[in-house]
Amino acid sequence: MSIVELAVIIGVMAANVGAFVWIALRGGGAKKDDAPTDTFADQAQKDVEHIFNDEFREELRNRGRLHFEKIIGENAMFLQQDLRLTTSQLNEYMKQEITQKLQDEFSKYEKSIMDAKQMAIDSITKTQAAIEQQRQMMGQQLQQEVQAERARLIKRFEDHMADIVNHYVLAAIGDQIDLNDQLEYILSDLEANKEAIVRDITDGA
Amino acid sequence: MEHNEKQIIQLPVLVSTRTDVGRLRREVEALENFMSQAAVRTPGTTVKMPKTSRLMDEILSINKINPLVEDDRRRLQSFLMEVHAKAPVLHMSFSADPSPMFMQKLTTWLRQEVHPLVLVQVGLQPNIGAGCVVRTTNKYFDFSLREFFKGQRPLLLQKLEGTKA
Repeated sequence: MSIVELAVIIGVMAANVGAFVWIALRGGGAKKDDAPTDTFADQAQKDVEHIFNDEFREELRNRGRLHFEKIIGENAMFLQQDLRLTTSQLNEYMKQEITQKLQDEFSKYEKSIMDAKQMAIDSITKTQAAIEQQRQMMGQQLQQEVQAERARLIKRFEDHMADIVNHYVLAAIGDQIDLNDQLEYILSDLEANKEAIVRDITDGA
Repeated sequence: MEHNEKQIIQLPVLVSTRTDVGRLRREVEALENFMSQAAVRTPGTTVKMPKTSRLMDEILSINKINPLVEDDRRRLQSFLMEVHAKAPVLHMSFSADPSPMFMQKLTTWLRQEVHPLVLVQVGLQPNIGAGCVVRTTNKYFDFSLREFFKGQRPLLLQKLEGTKA
């Protein structure tokens, strides 16, 4: 039941009540205001008063009141039912709307979260790829440097190896050779270079 | 140098260094001073001849020089001064101190083959191992075992490479 129908029912009820009240007031007021001058009129008035006496009026009032209360109660009951129905419909509607809204919001939120998650995954993937590339590059560079250092050390070792061996041999046997035993060796060397020595002594000074 | 045959003086092999020549010079000077003082001595006073060293005895002996004769002394002094100033000097370094016998043999060979008045300045280089290093006025000769090993370095590396392979 809509609010307009409810308003129509309440208006009809109010009109009935007004009619009864107007009739009741009209009956009492006629006796006071219109002073009958002729006999018929007085007789009619008396009959009317005889029929519609106070008890009958009271009876009518009571019946009207009861009827009015009945109508009021029925309408109140209808109104209550309509209100309950409306409330339940409203609740259902609100529930559906809120649920829909919440679902929409949740789906948006979930979509946002999924987007953020995907972005984070992409970013992490890119970072991992960059780190892996950097690691490979550094690994290659390190390997090259290690190989270069190794080659340098080997070359240095080979360059100095002869000196090391010579130094070792000289240190090992240097003290063991008597100078007198070296005389022939020394004289042979001097003999081999005698001309240069003589030339330098005679001409070089 | 004196080239007069009468005045030729041989330098004994014992005199091998410039220090020896300087020592002989001082000895001859001392002898000359003694003779000068003896000439003006009071007659009858005892004189004592100064002792001569082995080197002096050797040089006097092989050159038949009479130290009592003034001309011989002056000739010897002049000779020694000239040797000290002008004689060629060979700087020879060995791995150890050479013995006197070694120096005699070496000096004999040098006097015969290089120059009759050559002097030797001995040095010590223990790191050469064996052999000697000779330095003349303008040249440097390395006859050491160290230098010999340096010359054989390619062979050593070749052998080591062969061992490694």
